[in-house]
Amino acid sequence: MSKIKWLSNVKLETGERLLENGTVETETAIFHLKIENGKIVEQLYVNEPIPSGQEVINMKQRLALPTFKEMHNHLDKTYMTLDWKACTPVANLKERLAFEAAELTILSDTAQQRATKMIETLLENGSTHIRTHVNIDPYIGLKNLEGVIAALDTFKGKVTADIIAFPQHGLLRESVPTLMREAMRSGATMVGGLDPAGIDNAIEKSLYEVMDIASEFNADVDIHLHDGGFVGYYTTDKWIDIVKDAKYQGRTALSHSFCLGDIPVAQQKLVASRLAEEDVAIMSTIPINLGRVIPPIDLLDDHGVKVHFGCDGFYDSWSPYGTGDVLEKATRFCELTRKIDEKSLRNSLKWVTGGIVPLNADGHKVWPNIQDDASFVFFEAASSAEVVARKPSDRLVMIHGELV
Amino acid sequence: MSSLLIKNARLETGFIYENTRIVGTETSLYDVLIKEGVIVEVEKNIPQSSYEVLDADGKLLMPSFREMHIHVDKTYFSGPWKACKPITNGILTRIEEEQVLLPTQLPYAQDRAENMIQWLISQGHTHIRSHCNVDPQIGTQHIELTKAAFKKFEEQVTYDIVAFPQHGLLRSKVEPLIREAMRMGATLVGGVDPSVIDRDIDRSLNLTMDIAVESGKGIDIHIHDPNSLGAFEFYKLAELTNQAYKQGQVTISHAIALGDLHGTELEEMVSALAEAKIDVTTTVPINRPTIPIPYLHENGVSVSIGHDSLTDHWSPFGTGDTIEKLSLLAQRFKYIDEYSMNRCWKYASGGIMPLSDKGEVVWPQKGNLANVLLLDAECSAHAIARRRPITHVVSQGNLVFHNGESLKKEVLK
Repeated sequence: MSKIKWLSNVKLETGERLLENGTVETETAIFHLKIENGKIVEQLYVNEPIPSGQEVINMKQRLALPTFKEMHNHLDKTYMTLDWKACTPVANLKERLAFEAAELTILSDTAQQRATKMIETLLENGSTHIRTHVNIDPYIGLKNLEGVIAALDTFKGKVTADIIAFPQHGLLRESVPTLMREAMRSGATMVGGLDPAGIDNAIEKSLYEVMDIASEFNADVDIHLHDGGFVGYYTTDKWIDIVKDAKYQGRTALSHSFCLGDIPVAQQKLVASRLAEEDVAIMSTIPINLGRVIPPIDLLDDHGVKVHFGCDGFYDSWSPYGTGDVLEKATRFCELTRKIDEKSLRNSLKWVTGGIVPLNADGHKVWPNIQDDASFVFFEAASSAEVVARKPSDRLVMIHGELV
Repeated sequence: MSSLLIKNARLETGFIYENTRIVGTETSLYDVLIKEGVIVEVEKNIPQSSYEVLDADGKLLMPSFREMHIHVDKTYFSGPWKACKPITNGILTRIEEEQVLLPTQLPYAQDRAENMIQWLISQGHTHIRSHCNVDPQIGTQHIELTKAAFKKFEEQVTYDIVAFPQHGLLRSKVEPLIREAMRMGATLVGGVDPSVIDRDIDRSLNLTMDIAVESGKGIDIHIHDPNSLGAFEFYKLAELTNQAYKQGQVTISHAIALGDLHGTELEEMVSALAEAKIDVTTTVPINRPTIPIPYLHENGVSVSIGHDSLTDHWSPFGTGDTIEKLSLLAQRFKYIDEYSMNRCWKYASGGIMPLSDKGEVVWPQKGNLANVLLLDAECSAHAIARRRPITHVVSQGNLVFHNGESLKKEVLK
């Protein structure tokens, strides 16, 4: 049975105009959208009547934007729902991992409860897709994976997810390759990896192992790469070779990739072209701690590399900060790179929507279209530029025509 | 002024140790009695008597905030959305823009100033220092309207008005207007980049100090000039400050150059500023080197924070949320443990914190001004890390804000 309803008085971006003083203004108009089976099937102008006798939800001229994609998180690590606890300072990554190892078995009992709270927080803020890394390690095996899958199961139909088997404590040690394969058979949907130089101390072997598992299960890949400078650069370059050989174009991503910010611009351009060619995406959490270099996102974008933002794990043993609002990452990125005009603010929405924006670079409407999912975040705002600059906290999230 | 008894407020009482490391903040519930705008008693159980009672219900009581750098007179806040015009001619783009824009905004500038003040109060600020344009187009009209706006909030917030020659003290020939602004009640003499704008560092700084001396007031000057140029100006200003006996009355806003200096250069600079008792205000920018805030504090230069803009023709960003700002500051300096996050509050409260560095209770005490916040938080580190909400604001003993929802919906734009 098909379910029909109308969303009345929806504000959509329709174009742009150039003002005399040289600034661009986004044009919007009000529409009524007909929703059938969770999809947009018809669009009326505001002055056209909605057929009587059908369910109508009045959106009161709120601006509809695409829902967000949270592309880098660790649902299994958060302390959410537990007592407040700050982090323990450590001297280096090794100590941090040792500290985490000591906590893992205690925390794994509450994995589902903690992950559920994190998913709720992300969803409230407008994310309807979550890419989560989940620890697969010798201490807890698949316990966190079970908790995260159970938590995500209760959001079926609302939240889609990538569940990445993540060898946080090293891929090449002891039982981990076996555990990783077990994880892939137990509900993980993607293969993760971590610092082939810094953690695994075997760049090629680590990368090949990741690709072996991925090929074995026909799964996509997302590798954490914190290794800085040229060792990170080489790792990236080598990974591109492996992707090319395995014909894995469009199926892999590198997370963080600080190294791309460390290398000279000429090299950045070179690697950007190669990333684009093999369609390797870059995930960034837009860190702002002093001294932290981030990848040259605008340059990557100019070369056609797909870039996505994520909140990263938070309220956990790594970081006491965070909000669960991936839109804030777009705001912060604009602040960081001084994007202050309508067009550049507007275009920056794509980093948190998986590339979807209402207007293309020329200011022509490209979203939403008939047959698109009726999934939106609604804001009381004049344009997506305002949303990116002001990150309004009042929002309504709609998935397949249903308000969350 | 009446009395107010805050029952069951959570106060920070010490640090919790695991071996030698601080792992938490100890808190305990107290009653706080306020009379005539001053805290007169902090005890476990104060009889209700005939006082007006506010039950804090275990919420955390902390010193209120001071917004130390904002421009309430020229804002888009509470008005329709407008992005910024791309910059084509450096800072002059904005000055040219202001010559047209500010006269256009005059009819509603006071209204927006009031909305912004109200919003800042709801965000826990009980003192606001606003820079206020004095320029050839606007004359002293912004001083007038800023005074009128603050007057409406007299019981709720104290303030400073900085007479700010945005278009250059020399360049736009506003010396007589600045002197007039001081006579009208501006409480500080402002200034901006004496090199870039006035093209005459010596004359610009000297004249600024002359006006300060004549009016018997202090100075708060915007200096964005980087590295050696900024440093040169800071030394000049320190020298003038000492000569004029204005120690403790001079602020450098932004002081971007401090983020560029290192080693002995930074040490010498900081000791010159400390000697002249010059303080610094920062917005904790993320798009340029943030000044070494903890280092400055440890070496005798006090640091305050401000939001600068909550959306205007200079910047589309800014929230007025100082908890968020403290969170950013702490994150920027990689503070992740209880103790270092606990030590951040002072940058937003004029130096006031419940605990000393050693963990002794130093606030609130009998005789302290009753400028306090209640927060839905377990301790200040928790509030900063997880950006916990402010539920009540008490200014000079008056409850001036409670229940975040109503105000938030009205003016969040």
